[in-house]
Amino acid sequence: MKQQECVALLLAGGQGSRLNGLTLNRAKPAVSFCGKYRIIDFSLSNCTYSNINTVGILIQYKPFLLNSYIGLGSAWDLDNPFSGGVHILPPFLGNSEGSWYNGTANAVFQNYEFIDFYNPKYVIILSGDHVYKMDYNLMLKFHKQKNSEITIATIQVPHEEASRFGILTVDEDLRVTDFQEKPPQSESNLASMGVYIFNWATLKQALIEDDADYLSDNDFGKNIIPQQLKQAKRVYAYNFQGYWRDVGTIESYYHANMESLREGHFLNVFDPKFRIFSNEDILPPHFMGSSAKIENSLVCNGCIVHGKVSNSILASGVFVGKGVEIKDSILLPYVKVHKGSMVSKTIVGENAEILSGSIVGVEGESTPDQDGITVIEDRHIIPSGSKIAAGENVYRTR
Amino acid sequence: MPKAIGIIFANSGSDTLDGLAQNRPVAAVPFGGRYRILDFALSSMVNSGISTIGLVTPHQYRPLLDHLGAGKDWFLERKNGGMFILPGVMHGLAGDNHTFCIKDLQHNLEYLEKDFSDNVVISSGNQIYNMNFMESLQFHKEKQADATLIYKECDNLGNSIDDSLLEMDNDQKISNIWVQSDLKSSHTGHSHFANMLIIRRELLLNIIDKYSSLGCLDLIDILITNLKVLKLYGTPTDSIFWPIRTVKDYFHRSMDLLDCEVREKLWLGEDRIHTKIVDNPPTRYTTHAKVSNSLIASGCTISGEVSNSIIFRGVIVEQGCQIKNSIIMPKCHIYENAQIKYAILDKYVKVNGENVLKGSLNSPLVVSKSTVI
Repeated sequence: MKQQECVALLLAGGQGSRLNGLTLNRAKPAVSFCGKYRIIDFSLSNCTYSNINTVGILIQYKPFLLNSYIGLGSAWDLDNPFSGGVHILPPFLGNSEGSWYNGTANAVFQNYEFIDFYNPKYVIILSGDHVYKMDYNLMLKFHKQKNSEITIATIQVPHEEASRFGILTVDEDLRVTDFQEKPPQSESNLASMGVYIFNWATLKQALIEDDADYLSDNDFGKNIIPQQLKQAKRVYAYNFQGYWRDVGTIESYYHANMESLREGHFLNVFDPKFRIFSNEDILPPHFMGSSAKIENSLVCNGCIVHGKVSNSILASGVFVGKGVEIKDSILLPYVKVHKGSMVSKTIVGENAEILSGSIVGVEGESTPDQDGITVIEDRHIIPSGSKIAAGENVYRTR
Repeated sequence: MPKAIGIIFANSGSDTLDGLAQNRPVAAVPFGGRYRILDFALSSMVNSGISTIGLVTPHQYRPLLDHLGAGKDWFLERKNGGMFILPGVMHGLAGDNHTFCIKDLQHNLEYLEKDFSDNVVISSGNQIYNMNFMESLQFHKEKQADATLIYKECDNLGNSIDDSLLEMDNDQKISNIWVQSDLKSSHTGHSHFANMLIIRRELLLNIIDKYSSLGCLDLIDILITNLKVLKLYGTPTDSIFWPIRTVKDYFHRSMDLLDCEVREKLWLGEDRIHTKIVDNPPTRYTTHAKVSNSLIASGCTISGEVSNSIIFRGVIVEQGCQIKNSIIMPKCHIYENAQIKYAILDKYVKVNGENVLKGSLNSPLVVSKSTVI
């Protein structure tokens, strides 16, 4: 097996609870994005382009659909055993004990044997639930140039948003002098992207120390980074400039998807020079019927459209019946919307069905929640003639 | 389960496809928005559990291989079996009547010799169908047949010059095979040979051994010659079956795809048609798009009017364009206000603004690959 310089650890274990109905049945990285992709496609494709061939994917919450989707990693050319390949890493039982992953750092710590097995010089920690396109080699180059021990990828966020992120303060040499999680006020607007490059030796030491600290939450952002900064380790900030979108809440997920419909923004996601790979289903071309009307929308393979679609995204295999109107909405894979229904500003979960004559996303008198975005959970069947108010979250009854 | 390996003949060219099959075999002609004609035979075999498939290719097989790669997208990149390229002997792609030329097999004898299967499923790569061979293999085994020919029961198959009709007794045993060119009007029949058969591997090897030195003979002709001494059976298929022999075949069958029921039957059933995956983004419809009754593949940008048409992957249709009753193959670019009616545009064609391309239902206009208008 070929010696790998850098091994990637992709954190895909979180619940993504702020995505409500979309993550009730699947881990967040497995959630559909822009019709044909899933969120994890971005991190995995980045690895492909960056020539990082050994990727450990840390899973915990509802991993089945994510695991089936990843398979052997062939869809991202990450199935070469000679250079490592993709490894699904669930929590496991050891000789004397085992436990669930207790935080991002703990998840990595429990898998130090995996990293030791490949014995790389560098480890890159990625999150599986961010949408962005990045060549990690450039970040690694920067890391080496600065003789850094820990490099954190950062992105500039609007000052008003800074309190939502981990904010870094840097000096002129881009060395990190301070790190604050969600500071109410800050001068700097450099947010941590949750992408870190560590020297493996540094990381190992940091994880061991952190594990021994009973008070720690075992989180990279909350514990590891501040701790290393306190120890005056060489921590640098790599300023990333490129396509990056937060998809952590319903609002941000919705807007990141919708943005790709806007003139000029289409290329951000779909730039052929940095194509995102995905594990497509085997579906024929989509069909637009004689009564179909479509404008400013994205349509994926296997769709059958007989109604009116505007400003929307139809993922794979979606069915839009006659007399249906879809507006400003995102229909996830295999959704069916039957005769005469109207869907506005709604995210309809995978395999859900909206039976005939329903109206989803009705605007009422009061200001709706969730920016007026209605969410229907995976597999939910909305009965005929239903009316669902804007901003509602519709879940299956169990 | 009777074990079988597959052979697909994808090496015939055609003079009657008006340039669509000029530098590629018929099997490599794009079809249905994202497929190539060969994908149907190949997928049918793969879905039947036949995982060892030999593809007889023309001597110049670049376009085929560009599409096939190592067979990964058809699940044929495997240890046990897999896809084998069998270069044929014929130079050039001159259309000929030899669907199953023995010499091509003799040239690639090792493929047949080194295997242990009892039977070989042979198909032409020039036809559209979606068939599971398991039933036919079962039938072939039960009858202990030397060869089982698969036929389609119907009135006619479109252009029937190359057709063969099967005459069978009540037990489905073949008593005669009538080649159309010999037919007088006295022989009418409905059992059209579908250019697919199952033959015992040992028998095939014997035939190759005995006949290949005699020139370029067709396997079916040899079977006809030996009809009396062989156990030949016929079994029908209820799959959609479309041989593609002329531009009219190609155009009309493509338009048939616009029918919901046809699509359900052809590629929305249990057995799917596999093809090369290119990781295209979804197709984008801009504010000016107007599309009706059309089949559209991925990676397109549509800003104009499209009706009753088939648009392949990666096509750009700019604002003000009108595309009607046409077939636009991958990566074409139709500029503003161009008008296209009853036309078939091959890959990479560019139609500059304001141009009008018009064919007719009975004589669609064919524009060759990479033409700039």
